[in-house]
Amino acid sequence: MTTNKVIVEIKNLTKIYGSRGFKTMVLKGIDLKIFENDFIAIMGPSGSGKTTLLNILSTIDKPTQGSVILDGSDITKAKNKELSKIRRDKIGFIFQDYNLLDTMTLQDNIALPLSLNGAGAQTCIAKTKELAEMFGLKEHLNKYPYQLSGGQKQRGAACRALITDPEIIFADEPTGALDSKASRDLLDCLSLVNEQHHTTILMVTHDAFSASYAKDAYILNDGTMKCQLSRGRSRKEFYDRIVDMQASMGSDFS
Amino acid sequence: MSTIKLAYLNFKQSMKHYISLIVSLAFTILIYLNFQNLLYSDAMGVLNDINQHNLRVIVQSISFVLGCFMFFFIWYSTNVFLSRRKKEIGIYIFMGLSNQRIGKLYMLETIMIGVTALIFGVGFGIITTQLFQMILMRISEISVKIHFQISAAPILVSIILYAVIYMIFVFKGYIEIVRSSVLDMVSASRQNEYVRQNGNILLVKAILGVCILGIGYYLAIKEGGIEVFGNVLSAVVLVVIGVYMLFGGMIPLIFQKAAARKKFLYQRQRNLWINNMIFRIKKNYRTYAMVCVLMLCSVTALATSFAMKQRYDAIHHFRSTYTFQMISVKDQMEDQISDIIKKDNEIEYETKIRMLNLDPSYFGEKDQDASYGILSYSQVKQAAKAAGLDFDIKKIDDQEIVQVSKLYLLSIITEQTQKKVAIDGKKYLQVEKISEPYLGSLQEQDYYYMVSDKEYKRLASLGQEVYLYNYKIKDVQHMKASQDELLKFAAAHQNEMGLIVSDPNSSDIEWIKVMYSLCIFIFMVFILASGSILFMKLYNDAFEEKERYNVLGKIGISEKVLKKSVRQELRFAYAAPFLIMMVSSYFSVHALAKMMQADLLGIQILSVAIILVFFYLCYRISFAIYLRNTGIVS
Repeated sequence: MTTNKVIVEIKNLTKIYGSRGFKTMVLKGIDLKIFENDFIAIMGPSGSGKTTLLNILSTIDKPTQGSVILDGSDITKAKNKELSKIRRDKIGFIFQDYNLLDTMTLQDNIALPLSLNGAGAQTCIAKTKELAEMFGLKEHLNKYPYQLSGGQKQRGAACRALITDPEIIFADEPTGALDSKASRDLLDCLSLVNEQHHTTILMVTHDAFSASYAKDAYILNDGTMKCQLSRGRSRKEFYDRIVDMQASMGSDFS
Repeated sequence: MSTIKLAYLNFKQSMKHYISLIVSLAFTILIYLNFQNLLYSDAMGVLNDINQHNLRVIVQSISFVLGCFMFFFIWYSTNVFLSRRKKEIGIYIFMGLSNQRIGKLYMLETIMIGVTALIFGVGFGIITTQLFQMILMRISEISVKIHFQISAAPILVSIILYAVIYMIFVFKGYIEIVRSSVLDMVSASRQNEYVRQNGNILLVKAILGVCILGIGYYLAIKEGGIEVFGNVLSAVVLVVIGVYMLFGGMIPLIFQKAAARKKFLYQRQRNLWINNMIFRIKKNYRTYAMVCVLMLCSVTALATSFAMKQRYDAIHHFRSTYTFQMISVKDQMEDQISDIIKKDNEIEYETKIRMLNLDPSYFGEKDQDASYGILSYSQVKQAAKAAGLDFDIKKIDDQEIVQVSKLYLLSIITEQTQKKVAIDGKKYLQVEKISEPYLGSLQEQDYYYMVSDKEYKRLASLGQEVYLYNYKIKDVQHMKASQDELLKFAAAHQNEMGLIVSDPNSSDIEWIKVMYSLCIFIFMVFILASGSILFMKLYNDAFEEKERYNVLGKIGISEKVLKKSVRQELRFAYAAPFLIMMVSSYFSVHALAKMMQADLLGIQILSVAIILVFFYLCYRISFAIYLRNTGIVS
């Protein structure tokens, strides 16, 4: 089910690193439209520009050229104050290394962005419980990060990203540090929120298995979008197609 | 690469991280050097032998306390250093270096830090001796003129003490490394476990802490006789223990309870800073407690100095009330005496008091060797008026008595119950004890009581009546000539006349002045120390927090929100020890005020206000540096 509301529109995104003598064009004019309820995986070998793209999308980096329109406003031209507001209200982040705070319990970690935004305590409590239930973390809410497994931590991080109801979730190699079972659990959860709550997700990964959970997979190579694959009915079949595509491109996907 | 070169490179590279350590070490040297310098300066020269002995005991005990302070500070600093390096050391072990070699590397690096601190400490120490001198001169008009000529002895003593203590801990670290296993070292960095402490243990600690503190407060202000001395000593120990338990039990307990109540916790920055606080308090509570105790000491020291000054002024007042006092059994001598004085000096005022010398046996069990004098109300009143002294006693009735007492520098007995005084079988109610110098210096020596005129007449038959002729001359520096004449006059009337001369240049109470200066010095040093300890603690913590704030930035928490959270956290770090100190100081100063019979509330408020201002400054600087060190602002 895809609605027509555009969440992110990327136009001619170009990023050049270095000064005059040694210019490296990392992104060479990327165009992409992300609609509400999309679940997009961006794949690519190392050095293809995945991280740069994600950094620009998540307002950490600025492009050399082009624009990123998020929910109607161009984030590449936004001021610092606006940026932090955008980051706070419209974007949720999931990182490879979880980035949970070891000083507080899982519940406090999940509630943190919402409570910092000034939401009422009751709302925070209700939402943490709801998300924890969905991600199978209900029994672990009072534990500290060091008492949790990698998979539980990453699901906790996903809850934290989701608690502010952001327009879009950026996930940077979310399964990078997880074993296959934990990866599957996390991806199942992400698919679930995408389907049930119509959350828009953009995931950067080099892992074909992870990418096969998305609805669309884009392959980035050498700074340009090489191709787009869409999932059909079967995830298994989608996975095979992605692997075939990787093989045909022959680049190093690790 | 040689070990020395590697150690030097390490040292240079991580200079930024060690700066707080170096500053803290340099600071301890600075304080000790300052104090030693005071000891060796000519401050002691102004005192006579007995006074010097009095003071040396006091100064040496303070020196010992400062030495202990240095010991713990070095212990703490080297510990921080070692635990920080452990992970790195673990990597060296993986690289195949032997434990001995790594130990040597550690020793070299630590010695480099120590030497750097020493250079800074001695350098700034010398500069600050001048600064302290200037401040001291400014605030104490009665303070002795101390010239801080920097000499080699205090510097050497400080360097040697520091070096010995430092080397002990460097060696301790070396042994620890040589004996350690790879596993210890690598896992040393994973200390973030066991965030939460057992609630029951905290509860027991908290209850004990409150009780002990309460008993300490009670003992400090409890009135009593000779047992007050013991009470005050136990109060000091109990308050120190109580403060430690309060920070170790009560405060973490409150925070943990707060964190468990999510409705309370999930309100803006609370979630962040309360959790941070809980995480830190287990490591930091000793620092808070130490700062609290240090500040308490400093407030008490300033109150002591103030009381000393009050007492000094009062004793001075006592001695300058009259220049010459002649005591005689003969009446009508005043003109003869004043004529003698007038030959060389101008008389400012003169008084004459009649009094009754009574044999101690009339006073029952009292001091059998002392002499007792009885004064009549109207005589004293008249003399007080002539000498311009305060006299606000309303009529005494025939059953009442007033003790005309000398001044005590420090009285352990704080009980102020109404005493009964028996003279020749008749019991009088002692309604007041006053220390106005109605009898000048004479009052410092014996026991005097004032009764109603009627009672005086009744008692007159029991003893010998004597006359006290008192003179105050205008130019006290010019007293010598009259003094000689009066001596001759007294000698001519042997057995019936005595002379008392009050020399304003007498130096037997000069040590009080020095004590006054010392107390102010201690006040300044301890406040500086407590502020710096907190400051350095936060400076260090900021580096450890860097990663966490980085994460918070990444998940989109704005700079403004993070700043607010940091502000709350730092505010607590400064306010908690301050508030507990404020409450405790009320009791300590109250106890002191009673023993020294002085009103010290004003000075307590002033010293607390000074600390408040100083802490506020520290807090502002801490805040700015914390933001920078954590990377919240670049």
